[in-house]
Amino acid sequence: MMSRNQFVFGFGLAVSLFAGWVLFPRALYSARPQPVEFRHKTHAEKSGISDCSQCHAFRDDGSYAGLPSIDTCAGCHSERIGTSAAEATLVDHYIKPGQETPWLVYSRQPANVWFSHAVHVKRGGLACTECHGSYGESDQARLYQVNRISGYSRDIWGHSMSRLRRKPGDGMKMSDCEDCHRRHGVDVGCLGCHQ
Amino acid sequence: MKVTRRDLFVWGAGAAAGLVFSPVPWKLLDDTSIWSQNWPWIPQPARSPVEVKQSFCSLCPQGCALKVRMAGGWPIGVAGVSTSPVTRGALCPLGYGAHQLNWHPRRLQAVRHKESVSSWGAAQTAFAKACGEGPVIVIDGYPGRAASSILEAFAEKRGSYRVALSPELGALAPYERWSGVPANALGYDLENARTIVSGAPMLDGWGSPGRFTRLWAESAAGAKDPQLRLIQIEDSFSRTGSRAWQSVRIRSGSESALAAGLAHVLLDERLVPARGPIPRLTLADAAAQAGISEDAIRELARTMVERRPTLVISNDENPQVAALNVLLAATGARGGIVRRTKGTRHLPADAVNLNARAILIDAKVPWNFTPETDAEIFRFAAWDDGTSKSDWLLPAPGFLEELTDIPAAPTSAIETYAVAPALSKPRFEVQSAAQFLGNLDPSLGTTEKLIHGRCNGLFRERKGTLYGAARVPLEKFDSVQKVEEQLWKGAIWTGDPPSVGGWRCELKEWPQDPEKLRSRDWASEWPAAVLPPLAVKLYQESTLREAPERRNA
Repeated sequence: MMSRNQFVFGFGLAVSLFAGWVLFPRALYSARPQPVEFRHKTHAEKSGISDCSQCHAFRDDGSYAGLPSIDTCAGCHSERIGTSAAEATLVDHYIKPGQETPWLVYSRQPANVWFSHAVHVKRGGLACTECHGSYGESDQARLYQVNRISGYSRDIWGHSMSRLRRKPGDGMKMSDCEDCHRRHGVDVGCLGCHQ
Repeated sequence: MKVTRRDLFVWGAGAAAGLVFSPVPWKLLDDTSIWSQNWPWIPQPARSPVEVKQSFCSLCPQGCALKVRMAGGWPIGVAGVSTSPVTRGALCPLGYGAHQLNWHPRRLQAVRHKESVSSWGAAQTAFAKACGEGPVIVIDGYPGRAASSILEAFAEKRGSYRVALSPELGALAPYERWSGVPANALGYDLENARTIVSGAPMLDGWGSPGRFTRLWAESAAGAKDPQLRLIQIEDSFSRTGSRAWQSVRIRSGSESALAAGLAHVLLDERLVPARGPIPRLTLADAAAQAGISEDAIRELARTMVERRPTLVISNDENPQVAALNVLLAATGARGGIVRRTKGTRHLPADAVNLNARAILIDAKVPWNFTPETDAEIFRFAAWDDGTSKSDWLLPAPGFLEELTDIPAAPTSAIETYAVAPALSKPRFEVQSAAQFLGNLDPSLGTTEKLIHGRCNGLFRERKGTLYGAARVPLEKFDSVQKVEEQLWKGAIWTGDPPSVGGWRCELKEWPQDPEKLRSRDWASEWPAAVLPPLAVKLYQESTLREAPERRNA
């Protein structure tokens, strides 16, 4: 039979665990929508874009260009294609005024990190999904969750608060980089990333 | 049911225990540590598309090739250039952190006159007045640049030009006295040497960092009987010593005595064909001073000549150590000290005692250089460590903030030439010494014009090779503009391989001890206060030695 003390202790424990695992993450992150509702899946299916690098291209000098510029979008969306609100926003607010879309980058790293996509993709042969998960197949732009304290995206820590049993591409902390480097037997030292 | 005080404590204990098993403390710890990196007073690199430019480091006369990552017009990262034929991808720790130097709290941001803030106008007026009242001495720490020509041209009209020699150049100075060939025309043919006996930090920042470290990695590292033997002689066990083929520990300051002892053995046992003056110091005295046995010196001398060519490299200006190269016939020989250029211009290096109305010190002169003089001192500096006794401290361009050309490194066996354009704009008004003098006397010309003239000279001679995106012999270029364009984009011109012979040293008597030993490596000429944090951390961690401030104390 559980004593009164055991019950009270257990109750405190349960409240604390509930607050820590359920309420705390909700309080820690605020969510913001992307400026334009972008669908990777639609672009892949309807526009025949089969490879990430068609939009997320490498420059002629081998360096990674990152997000596509508004000129890339304007290649198809110089005028509205369809009647959706997202289409109207893209064309009227960004493409016609020639203004870059202020995308919220899920994978943005702190300024003291140097990361070369070219080295990892071209030399290391990594697939995009190994770090970015299956986001390229998503049918909607998920909310950008930003950590209220650190100011970085939730994708850096990963969506699992415990960081256990994570899916590929969930989490981009230094320990994730180190794990991957260890698995592949690539030792770059401190200056490899913190130049 | 009544809630008692005891219940509250028990509940609190349960909650505390639960908290430990929740992500709250661990996540908060992680997030607050990241938050502390982004405090508003911490300088942050600009967020904008990153572009990579090639340039050269001009912090010291080694002129290492750099790959500079730029964002928003600011350098945000520096790496070596693996295709550079000189540095082959390597940099010293100071170079790796050099992009932080422009933001250093010790950055000199305003003209200072006797510890108070002044102005460029006041400095210009004071210097012009001094020029009218008496001779002016201009001291350069990085000779051979276009800017050096401006300093020299001004000094010739108004006084005299002096050079504060780097330790590497100082180590070659004895050969200048013995052969008449200027020290700045000489270099080390490391690539063809088979035994190197060194007191310099060869694997720890000596010379162009990549040159010897790569050579070592290819010809010696990990081998029991390597193609290239490095015998390291020093008073403390350094990183270089720990990796050398043989490491010999001697007493501090006894390098000259050991050199004399080795010379005795080399001559007595006829290990060298040359005949030379016998040192006055006996072998027994040399052994006693160096703190090693006579047998150890004999053994060392025999080992030195086992695999030739043998080259002895001093850490500083040490005529007795230099004399060993003369005995070993390593001067003007393959794998020894070679003449990389036919230039005959001697550097006026007697820059310690100076008698003049005013002295102008260029920003490339190491901070620890303090002239013994009563003259009014105008010192250019990008960083202020607070110890200068200069009357005027004049803010100079920082890292990659000025256009300069990069002549051959003091230790290089081949002629090289490169251009380091100004990649970023200074955040406050700065002037180089050459600009300052050019403002006083416009007939001196500008660095840009002089660099153009030098590029023209290279093109007219049509010798050597340009290492840019590809390796192209200079004779293949059809216009000077194309040569200049390549150089401004980060290419480096290299001359023909060094000629062997054509000069020799004559040693009439065994040289005397040097008056003063120079400093040792890349860190010691920089005040610890202005080393970027990354450099200090790397320095401490890579060598497991004491921090520079303790060593220099």
